[in-house]
Amino acid sequence: MSKLLALVLAASVSVPALAAGNAEAGKQKSQACAACHGPDGNHPMTPDFPRLAGQHPDYLLKALRDYKSGARKNPIMGGQVQALKDEDLADLAAYFSEQSGTLHVKR
Amino acid sequence: MKIRTITKCLGTLLAVASACAFAQQPAQSSGDKPGEKAGGLPRFQSMCVGCHGIPYYQTAFPQVYHVPKIAGQSRQYIVNALKAYKAGDRSHPSMQGIAKSLSDDDMAALAAYYGADPAEAKK
Repeated sequence: MSKLLALVLAASVSVPALAAGNAEAGKQKSQACAACHGPDGNHPMTPDFPRLAGQHPDYLLKALRDYKSGARKNPIMGGQVQALKDEDLADLAAYFSEQSGTLHVKR
Repeated sequence: MKIRTITKCLGTLLAVASACAFAQQPAQSSGDKPGEKAGGLPRFQSMCVGCHGIPYYQTAFPQVYHVPKIAGQSRQYIVNALKAYKAGDRSHPSMQGIAKSLSDDDMAALAAYYGADPAEAKK
């Protein structure tokens, strides 16, 4: 049983490390994002699109990586991230997580 | 057994177990609006709180990262996300299990409770 637990634990942490991005670099790369999510990530063009400002950077990075791998399916985002490197994704995640917006924790 | 097979099995088990547990909730709404309980809270809101209601809470499975903030999110996006989990277009096991038991009314009630309208974004 403990062996099984150890295996499961190993599997849970074996995903690629979530690299910390550079928010300043992310800002430079964020023009394409701004068209739909707003320049600060807090003003989406339509309510269909999520607010990104103030979201956890590791969650944003996971979402971007999942769009790129196809694990998360969305025709717009799937296309947007294809040309981006992992470093770009991390920079964008860092930039939007540092903006302030309406996102918060509520019970 | 390979690690991948084990995690896959566990994921399926989790999803099935949660879907079974949530399926036992009554289908009828007892609140003032569809999808709400008496008192105005959305049905299933208690399912969200355990992860999304705790600041800096992290998922432990299948990957480790901070559970996203959902309060203040675009309302329609919350519905879109829940529908994507229900349809299998997004793949978190517990979110799929929960989303599968939600009706359209439940999703709308959760989005109304957690989401923010565009006017609030002007702040």
